Amino acid sequence: MVGTESKYLKENASFPFCKGCGHHHYVNYLDEALTKLNLDPEHVCIVSDIGCIGILDSLFSTPHTFHTTHGRSTAFATGIELADGILNDSKLKSIVVIGDGGSTIGLLHIVNAAMMNIDVTVLVANNFLYGMTGGQHSHFSPLDFVTPTTPAGNIVPPLDICSIVKSCGAQFVKQAVVTDKNLSSIVAEAIRYPGFALVEIFELCTEWATPFNKIDGKMLSSKVQFAEEDLPALRKEFSELYKEKILSVPLKKSDDGIEQKYSSPLRGTKRIVFAGTAGEKVQLASYLTMRAAIGSKLHATQKNDNPVTQGSGFSLSEVCLSSEEILYTGIDVPDVVIIASADGLKEVRANGILQRCRKNSLVLAEQTLPEFECGGTVLRLALRSLCTGSRASLSAFAAFNEITGWIPREAMNETFEQKFKEKSALYEKDIASLKPALAALLPKGVPV
Amino acid sequence: MIQNRMVIRTGNQMIAEGALQAGCQFFAGYPITPASGIYKAMIEQLPSKNGVAISAPDEISALAYCVGASARGAKTMTATSGPGWALMIETVQYALMTELPVVIAMVQRLGPSTGGATQNAQGDILFTEFCTSGGYTIPMFAPSTPQECFEVTTIAFKWAELLRTPVVILSDKEVGMMAEDVNYALLNSAPPWYRKEFSSKNGEPHITYNFKNGGDIPFFAPVGGKDKVTMTGSAHNKQGALQKNSPETLEVLRHLQQKIDVHKEEMAIVRLDEQEKADTLIISFGITHRTAREAVKRARSSGKRVRLANVISLFPIPSKQLIEAASNVKRIIVAEENMTGQYRSVIRHLFDGKEIIGVNAVGTMISPEMILSEIL
Ligand code: SF4
Ligand SMILES: [Mg+2]
Repeated sequence: MVGTESKYLKENASFPFCKGCGHHHYVNYLDEALTKLNLDPEHVCIVSDIGCIGILDSLFSTPHTFHTTHGRSTAFATGIELADGILNDSKLKSIVVIGDGGSTIGLLHIVNAAMMNIDVTVLVANNFLYGMTGGQHSHFSPLDFVTPTTPAGNIVPPLDICSIVKSCGAQFVKQAVVTDKNLSSIVAEAIRYPGFALVEIFELCTEWATPFNKIDGKMLSSKVQFAEEDLPALRKEFSELYKEKILSVPLKKSDDGIEQKYSSPLRGTKRIVFAGTAGEKVQLASYLTMRAAIGSKLHATQKNDNPVTQGSGFSLSEVCLSSEEILYTGIDVPDVVIIASADGLKEVRANGILQRCRKNSLVLAEQTLPEFECGGTVLRLALRSLCTGSRASLSAFAAFNEITGWIPREAMNETFEQKFKEKSALYEKDIASLKPALAALLPKGVPV
Repeated sequence: MIQNRMVIRTGNQMIAEGALQAGCQFFAGYPITPASGIYKAMIEQLPSKNGVAISAPDEISALAYCVGASARGAKTMTATSGPGWALMIETVQYALMTELPVVIAMVQRLGPSTGGATQNAQGDILFTEFCTSGGYTIPMFAPSTPQECFEVTTIAFKWAELLRTPVVILSDKEVGMMAEDVNYALLNSAPPWYRKEFSSKNGEPHITYNFKNGGDIPFFAPVGGKDKVTMTGSAHNKQGALQKNSPETLEVLRHLQQKIDVHKEEMAIVRLDEQEKADTLIISFGITHRTAREAVKRARSSGKRVRLANVISLFPIPSKQLIEAASNVKRIIVAEENMTGQYRSVIRHLFDGKEIIGVNAVGTMISPEMILSEIL
């Protein structure tokens, strides 16, 4: 078959399909639909992928053509339409040309386009098999369908693409036989539809389907179920919605940084491990320590760790404070380890931190924890009963810091006040009760 | 941001800010540790700069959305880690073949397979670089600090746009997720760059992949613009039309590599910490470079003579700069957090006749002591 005179098709293009293949009609009806809509070719992009139907891009002379990887056409078209609808003038119409094979491997892309209601038109050429690669059956093959890969007949019922996209909120969903006289009108309506539209077009593969199966136009017609009158567009197209609700929403005021108005007497680097239970503000303790240190002209790094489920089990945080740029960010031998709970103890034991402690390492541990082996100097404190679990980590460090003076007290106080407002009094109380107990326990000559 | 104030940022956040600095207009993301921080930061910040930040249902879609948007003319980026990269490889190749710019931030974690989501590794160097059928060069840049994350991202965008090709930022979990004080006054960046657009002179029609010399970059016309675009992931001629093995098709394939090769020198970034009469060269990148700096500091304080090279442009391999860096040294140490010395394996031929030592680790950071013990 040869394309007739058209604004979109190549003149006298010879179609590359087998004799009698439904794809001939598909191309002609698509061309007719474009002609009906009288679309400017520069506002049309035909996005195809792999399979016999995919090579129709070579037949079109004026619209943009974008020939993609197997089944991915809808995803690429979604990207094109997002950029067109939100960043440009939204005039482009992307038409996805895809087979039943592509619709299977790329099913999630079609599902997501339907869910988003992006302005993409998907024209599924369903001939129930993979024609190009030798007639293998597809997920769209009917029961009992005979193909080289189902010689005894297909025993798995076919995938119903229309019901799937309907359940994903698609509003324009239709089926037709490729020889239907009104197919060009259906395709034109689908393209015009301001949102996701899908038309499943039943076809015959004369090379692989008709020789082995009783299949004809009547049988194809009997499959058409989605043919009802148009529904009004009830959902807003995605790009419209995005522009309305998300684009140009001003940024939440970002923090304007830390003023370095204090000075730390610390020289060199201190490496601190906070270990406790998720939900008990362990990582907040290290973060605020870091903020106060930076405000005192120190450099600081922070690394957090927790189990895969973020809100349960241990919570761990490593902080390095230094008067110089911090190069190596690991903690081989910690200077201070704060263990606020049994979860924390379990983790510092499991990941080797306890084993790496040396005599100079100070381990500030909750009093009620069981005995544990550790190369460092272990100091037991009633962290949980004095300060509650969720203030234990921060209060322990702050009390310790009062003694060492690594971070000036004013810098710590300011950080507390900014974060906790009037609740920072609670921490003051914690520190007041922890400090004497800690001072009594500390070995002489704490390294400052 | 108030000048002269410090902020706390992760490497991931600084990749996002670098992307904004470079004029990124489109980001599609899918959650994966340790790259999710980039996704979150882009969702938070890009719309306020009139850009699109979108959630995809998988990594294949995320990159395909970017490449589609790039065809429509947008500057685009996505971010992932090893398991997501495995899914993206199909679309990376498509972007390379169709000459559509896109930046992919690859934040490495421990592999193989699901591996360790929160464990660091630098084990995806070869996996990421050699992901194409045919072995085409994908430009790849590796930052070692939040500051470098910002700078390297602007550089990645520049080369993606300039060369019309996918470019990878190869970060790692330690660089990506560690928070640190950052001084904005000290940030560097490449000037924003946009791909050169086609404009018809004397009515000549647009040819999608028009070039005279193999190293030339074709002028870009967007899908949806007034000049017809023809693109395909199949082997094609300059028009963009599918064609088997014609001389012109093979010329187009060679061009995909030649355009990278031609710019190899300009892309090279190797930062040397020089020491006179050094007899040892240490080569490192990413998080391990910070460790190497610490090791070098200690080595020098004990009188050792060591030169240090931070390789930021891992690919194309900056051969000339690496050979120069190795001049007059006897011993070369390549430190990287993977089992077999991946980067060492692709650069060792540059150092014929010299002793080459690998310092490697799996599942744990390389420590300064590990490097120090190899400095004689
Ligand atoms: S193999 Fe089948 S689907 Fe392909 S062109 Fe021939 S008849 Fe059409
Ligand atoms: Mg088919």
